[in-house]
Amino acid sequence: MSELLISVIRGIPVGCVFALMATGIVLTYKTSGVFNLAFGAQAFVSAAVYYELVIRRSWPSGAALVVAVIVVGPMLGLVLDRLLYRHLRSARTLPKLVVSLGLLVAIPQTVKLWFGSGSAFNPPGVIRSDYVLRVGEISLDTNQLVTIAITAASVAVLTVLFRSTNLGLQMRAVVESARMAELNGVNADRVGSVSWMFSSLLAALAGVLLAPLFAQISEVHFFTLLVAALAAAAFGRLSSIPLTLAGGLALGVLQATLAGYLPSDSVLAQGLRPSLPFLALFLLLLFWPGLRQPRELSDPLGGVDPPPPAPPAAIRNRTVVLATRGVVIGFVAGASVLALTTLDPFWTSVVTKGVILGTIFLSFVILTGLSGQISLCQATFAAVGAFTVARVVELTGVSVLTALLVGAAVSAAVGALIALPAIRLGGIHLALATLALALMFEYVVRPLDLVSGGFHPPRVPRPQIGSIDFTDDRVFFVLTLVLATTVSLLVWAWKRGATGRTLDAVRGSEIAASSVGINPFGSKVLAFSLSAGIAGLGGGLLASFEGRVNYDANYTFFFGLVWVVLVVTLGSRSIPAAITAGVAFMAFPRLLGLVGLDQSMSQAVAFILFGLGAVTYAKHPEGIVEAHTRASLAWAVRKLAPDRRPLAGEHPPPERAVRSAHVGAGR
Amino acid sequence: MSKRIATLVALLALLAAACGNAGTDSNATGGGGNAPTGTATATDLTRKVPVDQPGVTDTEIRVGGVVSKTNPLGGNYDDAFDGVRAYFEMINAQGGIYGRRLVLAAERDDQVVNNQQEVQALISQDKVFAILPVATLLFTGADLAATSGTPTFGWTINPEWAGPPNLFGDRGGELCFDCPTPVVPWLAKDAGAKKVAVLAYNVPQSKRCAEGIIASFRRWPTAEVAFQDLALSYGVTDFSVQVGKMKQAGVELVTTCMDLNGVTNLARELDKQQLSAVQYMPNAYDHDFAKRFADLVEGSLVLTWFAPFEVPDPPEGTKRYFEWIDRTGGTRSELSMSGWLAADLFYRGLVAAGPEFTQQKVIDAINTFDNWTADGSIPGVDWTIAHKQRPPLSCGAISRIDNGGFVPLYGEAGRPFICFDVEADQLPDRPEPTAGATR
Repeated sequence: MSELLISVIRGIPVGCVFALMATGIVLTYKTSGVFNLAFGAQAFVSAAVYYELVIRRSWPSGAALVVAVIVVGPMLGLVLDRLLYRHLRSARTLPKLVVSLGLLVAIPQTVKLWFGSGSAFNPPGVIRSDYVLRVGEISLDTNQLVTIAITAASVAVLTVLFRSTNLGLQMRAVVESARMAELNGVNADRVGSVSWMFSSLLAALAGVLLAPLFAQISEVHFFTLLVAALAAAAFGRLSSIPLTLAGGLALGVLQATLAGYLPSDSVLAQGLRPSLPFLALFLLLLFWPGLRQPRELSDPLGGVDPPPPAPPAAIRNRTVVLATRGVVIGFVAGASVLALTTLDPFWTSVVTKGVILGTIFLSFVILTGLSGQISLCQATFAAVGAFTVARVVELTGVSVLTALLVGAAVSAAVGALIALPAIRLGGIHLALATLALALMFEYVVRPLDLVSGGFHPPRVPRPQIGSIDFTDDRVFFVLTLVLATTVSLLVWAWKRGATGRTLDAVRGSEIAASSVGINPFGSKVLAFSLSAGIAGLGGGLLASFEGRVNYDANYTFFFGLVWVVLVVTLGSRSIPAAITAGVAFMAFPRLLGLVGLDQSMSQAVAFILFGLGAVTYAKHPEGIVEAHTRASLAWAVRKLAPDRRPLAGEHPPPERAVRSAHVGAGR
Repeated sequence: MSKRIATLVALLALLAAACGNAGTDSNATGGGGNAPTGTATATDLTRKVPVDQPGVTDTEIRVGGVVSKTNPLGGNYDDAFDGVRAYFEMINAQGGIYGRRLVLAAERDDQVVNNQQEVQALISQDKVFAILPVATLLFTGADLAATSGTPTFGWTINPEWAGPPNLFGDRGGELCFDCPTPVVPWLAKDAGAKKVAVLAYNVPQSKRCAEGIIASFRRWPTAEVAFQDLALSYGVTDFSVQVGKMKQAGVELVTTCMDLNGVTNLARELDKQQLSAVQYMPNAYDHDFAKRFADLVEGSLVLTWFAPFEVPDPPEGTKRYFEWIDRTGGTRSELSMSGWLAADLFYRGLVAAGPEFTQQKVIDAINTFDNWTADGSIPGVDWTIAHKQRPPLSCGAISRIDNGGFVPLYGEAGRPFICFDVEADQLPDRPEPTAGATR
């Protein structure tokens, strides 16, 4: 057998693993319109249940398989549909993605509350056998054979389901337009539930089947496989099951071939092999026909819904705006004084880091809040800023404050470079492209000594201005407040000024914006660049606060995902929401500890609540902070002036609503 | 948490293990071991004088620790608390020290990413006299612990332990990840392996470890590095190509710088392709792991920096560890041993500091110990140099995985370790088993 053929055959089992995960992604996307990044988390649930039953409770494999895959999988899908996704059916891609990210965070933490976080070694296979098929130089064990068989069977069943059955047609119809499907006699709710149960069954199957690939059960492994498999899903254009299988196999074969042919100590091998799945994903998103012109799934009858409330911050009356600002400024000033005078070093540290994260989160206000784009690589931009500061200080000896500006500039430049090819993708495709870039940075760029300085996390000193030494945490807190306020004012100015109005216009309608001389592409690139610069500034500040660039503790791509969930949930258009999100991220788990929750559980509960908070995004796209601000103001105004006109976005009292409707009709 | 963090622990642990252990001449005498320099007399140990130090009351000396109990990969890091508790129970059963009980007052979980905040909390909220144990995947609070001047003791898998005089890792401070060490070339020589393979992930920690091993074979060419792959990506589940090439190259010993996922998948593939090469797995001294993967890892070699629990006639320190870890309901494991060692060094420092102890006196006292062995549980650390220098001897204990358990090799009853001179040009045919300074 030729070496090439051997490499190709050796790539097939791992290709099937990619294909199985990617098929799950495509199935969910086809049947629900959700790009379900929580698919790996769902797989983890069933893998944990199977392990618990077989290893810890000594159940027979068959019975455990039935419970873990046939019962738990579909049940989880049903619960997700009933509680969450049913209410998001007509939502656009972004809210659905945010909710799936929230579940990605919340589900594993929930499972660990009962499964525990200790070692769960040697997950059992579906068929426990030592049989190995050997043909020439090829050897396949039972688990690989089962994986190949089940992947092939899943692809066959799904292809038949979508091409030849009424149910498959109904599933796709409900995603396209639930109302139109219902007009044709389809019970959209029931079909939606079946879709979710079906995709969750596949997740469960993947979880049980793929768990033995790893030494122990962990949600991390499933997510890792999932992100590696995204390229296969992209190859299938997020719609074709057979093409997805082909993509998975191609990826597996390519990996095996590169491992077999590239000299392992070559620069090419060390750069290309670890980044292959993510590089493939990025290139496919840019160049693969069918993905180059992204098409948002939207309900043609979505227009029968009442329009969403206008962005309230933009059209509130002036008195309310001033009152809100007064309250916010007063609160921030009061909280800062309180922090400086009463907090012990621990809480000072927590709040300082929270405010720094809040500064980083302001980058979402520009990118997501104003420009309507979603980026999953903001943590990477923060890391770029941090590493730049470390290297600039080390190599040139300039002051840290100067280096912070250099770090921000470099991040902004990197942001612009990334935006140039990626920004036109938009929506889910831009999110995936930024995720791919974050992973490439983590796997290829960050390990370079040139970037990270090697094994020891690079040092970043605290700044000094004249006689003011920021080594003291309280003094550094003041610096953090000053910088956060400065960036907030800049963002506010951009929001209020030409930049914000341009981005608002582009977000509303690119064509209309173009017609009045706005360059949508340039505007988006500018937003991406500004956003990256802010993240880079915050990242550098964080490194200076901690004394080192602690990449693994602060800047991994997973943080980027959690940050998106948190900021979008609290309010991506709102400056106070961004700062609140930063402080909440740091302080909330500790506050839970103060009320008596076990420390190890407090972080899990906080993540569960952060994750589930994303669920409210569908109801409050403006974010929880903004929604509560509106509700509080409405309540206050109602109390103070009962006979006044309703605030923007507020439902008028019934009798007034009727009058308004008449007036509207008269017009 | 990210996958990088999830995998980091195993890499760091194996790197620390692969770099060998701090050790000095086992025949050396001096301040460490059972009779540390400046040891208080028996009368002194019961003498109580007022002490104005954080965490010290009239009746207690309070310490606190931080571990990565909650982490994405599992692993029972809170076992380290068991070790400290067991040691403190032993001391308290003897009446404590300086009229006070030793109390583990704070047990914090840094959940991997919050190490700095938790170290800050130990210092400023719990106001502990010393920080122990530290058994964490990341040690981002190291600088804070160092600048606070708090004596800090723990599991040495992070590079941050090196340098500061108040940070005491259980196998010294300075870990040289890419320095040539004689252990692996000697194992190849002893096993009669003429061709070896080296595998590592494409990340600095893993790659440097592998480069260190390759450099070791260059320095002591007992075997040829016939296959190397230092470009594996994290989370790799398929080694069929690599093992196929190893088979073609006739590899007889495989040494890796990978986490447990990597070594088990590699073992699975070796088994599948019927390549009977021995696998050297520096960080696999985990009884649950060996039991669960008994078939796959049978015959693999494991390195520990402490005397394996299975040695015949265990050292005094290990016997006491068994007695008190069992009495207090703790778990026998690498991490509880690490906690025990942390408590041992802390206690000896207290003893050496005298009844009017302060944090600084404890630090200064420990830094005079030139051969701390925890009563023979470890080969010995010379704290006069260990913060900044690589020890002249690389010591450890080798075990083979056999029927889901560990069988100590090369050592003898009462002498569980083997040591190598890192500057030697030639490797010995068989290094003399040693027991450390106390035997």
